[in-house]
Amino acid sequence: MWYHIFKFEIQYRIKRPDTYVFFLFLFLFSIVGVDFIFQGTDLGLMKKNSPLVVAKSMGAITGLFMILASMIMGVSVLRDFEYNIESLMFSTPIHKRDYLLGRFLGSFTVLLFVFSGIPLGMMLGELMPWIAADELLTFNGLVYLKTFLLVTLPTVFFGAALFFVTGALSRNLVVVYTQGIFLFVVFMLTKAITNEFWQAILDPFSLTTTTFITKSWTTLEKSTQDLPFIGALLYNKLFWFSLGIAALVYGYHKFNFNVVKEKRSKGKRKQISKTNINDGNEVIIPDAKKQYDLRSKWAQLKQFSWFYFMGICKQPSFWAIVICGMIIILVNSVNLGTVYGVDSYPATYFIVEELQETSIFFFIIILVFYSGELVWKERGAKLNLIYDATAMSSFIKLAGKYVGLNLIYIVLMLALISSGIIFQTLSGYYKYELHVYFYGFFLEILPFLALYTCVAFFIQSVVNHKFVGIMLVITFFIANTALGAFGFDHDLYLFGGNTIGTYSEMNGYGHFLKPYLFIKSYWLLFGILLLIIASLVSVRGIETNLVKRFKTGKYRLSKPLFKLASIVFLMVIAIGSFIFYNTNVLNDYWTASEATAFRVDYEKELKQFEYLPQPKIVDVNLKLELYPSTRDYTVEGYYILKNTNTEDIASIHIQKLLEGNITIDSLSFEGGATRDNQYKKFDYSIFNLNKVLKPGDSIKMYFKQNFMTKGFESGSSNVNINKNGTFFSNSDLPTIGYTRKYELNDPSDREDYNLPLRSNKAERENVNELVNARSGSDSDGLNFEMIIGTSKSQTALVPGELLEQWTENERNYFHYKMKIPIINFYSIVSAEYEIKKDQWMSQKDSITTPIDLEIYYHKGHDYNLDRMLSSMKASLNYFTKNFSPYQYEHLRIMEFPRYAQFAQSFPGTIPFSESIGFVLDIDDENDVDMAFYVTAHEIAHQWFGMQVEAANVKGRHFILETLSQYAAMMVLKEHYSEDKLLQFLELQNETYKKGQDREALKEPSLALVENQDYVYYAKGAIQMYQFQKAIGEENVNKALRRFLKDWNTRNGVLKTKTDRYVTSKDLLDYFKEVTPRDLQYMIPELFESVEALKIITDVKN
Amino acid sequence: MKLIIDNLSKTYANGIEALQNVSLEIPKGMFGLLGPNGAGKSTLMRTIATLQEADSGTVALGDINVLKQKNELRQVLGYLPQQFGLYPKISAEVLLNHFAVLKGITNKSERKNLVKALLHKTNLYDVRKQNLKGYSGGMKQRFGIAQALLNNPKLLIVDEPTAGLDPVERNRFYNVLSELGEHTVVILSTHIVDDVKELCTNMAIINQGQVCLKGNPLQILEELKGKVYKKTIEKSELSFYKQNYKVISEKLFLGKPTIHILSDVNPRDGFTLINAELEDVYFSEIFNHSNSKSI
Repeated sequence: MWYHIFKFEIQYRIKRPDTYVFFLFLFLFSIVGVDFIFQGTDLGLMKKNSPLVVAKSMGAITGLFMILASMIMGVSVLRDFEYNIESLMFSTPIHKRDYLLGRFLGSFTVLLFVFSGIPLGMMLGELMPWIAADELLTFNGLVYLKTFLLVTLPTVFFGAALFFVTGALSRNLVVVYTQGIFLFVVFMLTKAITNEFWQAILDPFSLTTTTFITKSWTTLEKSTQDLPFIGALLYNKLFWFSLGIAALVYGYHKFNFNVVKEKRSKGKRKQISKTNINDGNEVIIPDAKKQYDLRSKWAQLKQFSWFYFMGICKQPSFWAIVICGMIIILVNSVNLGTVYGVDSYPATYFIVEELQETSIFFFIIILVFYSGELVWKERGAKLNLIYDATAMSSFIKLAGKYVGLNLIYIVLMLALISSGIIFQTLSGYYKYELHVYFYGFFLEILPFLALYTCVAFFIQSVVNHKFVGIMLVITFFIANTALGAFGFDHDLYLFGGNTIGTYSEMNGYGHFLKPYLFIKSYWLLFGILLLIIASLVSVRGIETNLVKRFKTGKYRLSKPLFKLASIVFLMVIAIGSFIFYNTNVLNDYWTASEATAFRVDYEKELKQFEYLPQPKIVDVNLKLELYPSTRDYTVEGYYILKNTNTEDIASIHIQKLLEGNITIDSLSFEGGATRDNQYKKFDYSIFNLNKVLKPGDSIKMYFKQNFMTKGFESGSSNVNINKNGTFFSNSDLPTIGYTRKYELNDPSDREDYNLPLRSNKAERENVNELVNARSGSDSDGLNFEMIIGTSKSQTALVPGELLEQWTENERNYFHYKMKIPIINFYSIVSAEYEIKKDQWMSQKDSITTPIDLEIYYHKGHDYNLDRMLSSMKASLNYFTKNFSPYQYEHLRIMEFPRYAQFAQSFPGTIPFSESIGFVLDIDDENDVDMAFYVTAHEIAHQWFGMQVEAANVKGRHFILETLSQYAAMMVLKEHYSEDKLLQFLELQNETYKKGQDREALKEPSLALVENQDYVYYAKGAIQMYQFQKAIGEENVNKALRRFLKDWNTRNGVLKTKTDRYVTSKDLLDYFKEVTPRDLQYMIPELFESVEALKIITDVKN
Repeated sequence: MKLIIDNLSKTYANGIEALQNVSLEIPKGMFGLLGPNGAGKSTLMRTIATLQEADSGTVALGDINVLKQKNELRQVLGYLPQQFGLYPKISAEVLLNHFAVLKGITNKSERKNLVKALLHKTNLYDVRKQNLKGYSGGMKQRFGIAQALLNNPKLLIVDEPTAGLDPVERNRFYNVLSELGEHTVVILSTHIVDDVKELCTNMAIINQGQVCLKGNPLQILEELKGKVYKKTIEKSELSFYKQNYKVISEKLFLGKPTIHILSDVNPRDGFTLINAELEDVYFSEIFNHSNSKSI
């Protein structure tokens, strides 16, 4: 008997179009599945069809599209109730067992068919033209099949059982969807489990499970090895499989073959039938005006919005979603703004970001499903004909539903905000910034949802098939995201426009807000047009044929609606034109491919000039006027250029920064020059000097550069020049000669354009680069002087002693000058600052002038100032004692907005991001004091970077970064303890491991490191620790002392005798000098080999 | 004000001719539209109720061209479809209020009074706070008429409203309807002859998409006077009688078939003359119509 029902179920589904729509959807999605799941992550040596990658992708796709299972399994019993044939079904002599078993197995078979789209699609994905051959292992169908059976099948089975049972028991489709959210919450909760093993067992999509079981694998194993179906993976699958069985057993016992669901309503029913009857004839029906004017329509809209809103509010499943959302945040936001393993204070913007990230899935579920439910609400209740025969405007009805759904979002938002506030309170943080909450949700999330809701309503109204509509809405989501990812991201055609950008406490939403509001208005108006069209073609009456609906739609366009549509349309055109004027006329808009082509041409045409002899900047004297409120600046003054070559220089090549906002208004040379504009399109000018520059001679170059903000740009705009918190460096000013950083970097792109292989760093013996301290070095040291003016409320800072400070024309002016030459690397910073000051005196030498210590910080960010200050002092003490004296008379830290997350050392000044040290909530018991450490690291750069510069070849960062790591570690050890240092090193060890996994090419040794930060930061720290442990801290310091003495850029014993800069080879020689003979073997082992390093715990013992 | 239907035709995509040149003039008062299942009644009703397009023909209510000026018609239309559901989780009062807004009654106090009056009228006032989920078929139908009356309709269309109601509920429903005929064009479609007999001043019989008879029920009965005969027979004789007489209906009476035949002269042979009922009219028309078609 069950077989008969099974067969019937399959036959029924075979005839349904949704079966194929679902299959096709999964199939097509899976073709790009791996690329989608792993977008933005570096696979390293792993291939796109490595078993581990396949397993993770399949797990994630299965998880993402679990809703399909709910749509297939949920309806299989529910259907009988929807079509009211349950009485027929249940009064036939079928057994409950046969009925349920047949239905379940039938639907499950169909579900498997649908999900088989995943492995099939993924296999086909290997053949896609954008996948390069070296991204793949040899094709092996078994991997997909096996993964499908082992990873997807048990999960799908669990989902199928859960959805089947909830559908059968609740007889309510929305409850079924809510299960999808429930599953997601479980998944998120597992992430909060700290025990990795349990996390691996409980993850329903086995993403963490696969990570867990491959933890100890080498990169090669991860790339090729089959996943073993033992241990955690096996238990995970058994766990979820048995939960599925449990759900089925429970459902079987609970399922009742009664037609009427027995519930509390029984009592009420009796009450109803008791009412006494009068014939009502004497009742006179009062007159009531019928109004169809605009005011009445407005009243209707209000009533409708409220009606549909309340309709959803009455559903327990909605509140289940709300509660899930609140819980998940309370559990999940334990780690906020974590930097180097230390959490930040739960400032509101961190909470908002966390809330946004975790709740977006909930919002999308609500959007996708409830928009379907709302469009189908009357038809679901079979009330549609009554609605349709009234004089109600279709548009008002749809608009009411639209507003109602948006009110639902608002309820969830308010719930999330209150959970955020609860979380802050529980964490003992009471600075609730309600406006930040408000903006985070009502400015960032709500417009996004409102826009996609228009699309969802439009799609549901047009296709007139609820599930197909749902899938199309999801497809639209994915397609639009993909469009952006492929570089088609202009705000005018990327649906909804781009996101607003990062909120910063220093700069608020800054200059992002205005364009954002324009672009969102443009799209919202477009959304209204969509709603109007949707209301015109939506089903009214019994005609469902789409073509006929489109034909009759025009008769529905009433005069007021036509007026509204016309006005909206004109506004879309007007605002759209305004946006276009801003993004494409006032500013340049480049698509990704245009930008690529430009880079290719730049390299092809200008590479010839790369090592052309050019003069060096020896003197910089500038006056900069910054206008923060309008985000403009002008800078004028001169460079003195000196010919340090042995031959004459007849022409000087000047590169302007490639940014549309920047113009060079004038540029002239002492003695005159003619300008050759043949490379104008690259903003590259060649000035043929009237009089050749002889070796040893100098020439003044005067220029005036203008940065002018014109309107706004599409997508992300310049985040260096801000209303509050400007930070840029001299690389924005005119530079000399070919600029290597404009070259195309991506190896496969380079291949496509027939460009030769490019390495990030030159070989250690490269004679051209040995004389450069940085890429395209324009200087070997320069004298620096600058006057900078900024708005009255701001303080402007550049390197140098502050000679004078005054106010003029309601503006603040500062005159800085460096007493000694600096490297060609200076920052320009301006913001509204609070200042913390102190002084430091060298303990070695009491006659020297005291050093001014200053921290310029944003008001309120004073949590860690004392830690930073003590780090400044401790560092200066340690470095002057062990390395060499500090070269400047000031040391400043300046906070800048968190658009970038780093601190960076410039001569005597250290711009320090808002996000990495100022708001860390450091617990001295458990955490490493990273505010202290990062400060120490940056101060170390005043030695390794400012005093000694390294040649721009492989191993450069070993000298600059690894030595700074070492120096900072020693300060940390001295100030805190060896234990804290070991804790820090454990973190480095993890970072190093992760870096190795991401490495796509061969890992270099420290001595030959290029741009691999996991090597020069993480491995460097570990190796240096072991090195000093073995040969003694004092010996290492002795080597560094000698190293600095010989290679100091300004007065190094060896440096002053040569043009070239120091390399890692030189450094290792200094190390060898201080290493006892029996430990010499360590040097190649630690610094010159790639071998897996000794685990840090060895050191501990 | 009259509803004038002129030459209305509709053929569905699957070839079924649901309406063929239907022409009717419907004055104020109750109008019964009789016809067997599938005769085209609902198609006609839905077309008048602006829920469906016709292929050709016109429908006019006074000055309103129903097929073109849909919204104008909807303003004066009350419609109770053959089948409808209700939102289970809200009360009659809330839903009726919602429908009142839907129909343009946006003045709050007027709306409140109106809803209250209609709930009284349809005898739902005592249960107005209950969720509609618990409503019986009769209560549901009364709620249906309450919503149809909200906008004080000039044209009221009720499609098979008494199907599935018990006799008590049916009577109660008729009481509500019967009052309306004075100012309103009420079209009542049904396949239950008694509904028409009890309520309607005018009627039409429709079968296979065509109008086969229209007029005043009493006049129509007059035409059959002295033409309908009745006889109780054995089951085995049924086919014999069907071949030799115009058998317009057969019913079981105490287990034996009782046939009604149509005859201009007295057939004798055990037949007795009876007073024609509206039912006989109905069956005879269906009989004639089907026969003429099949020939």
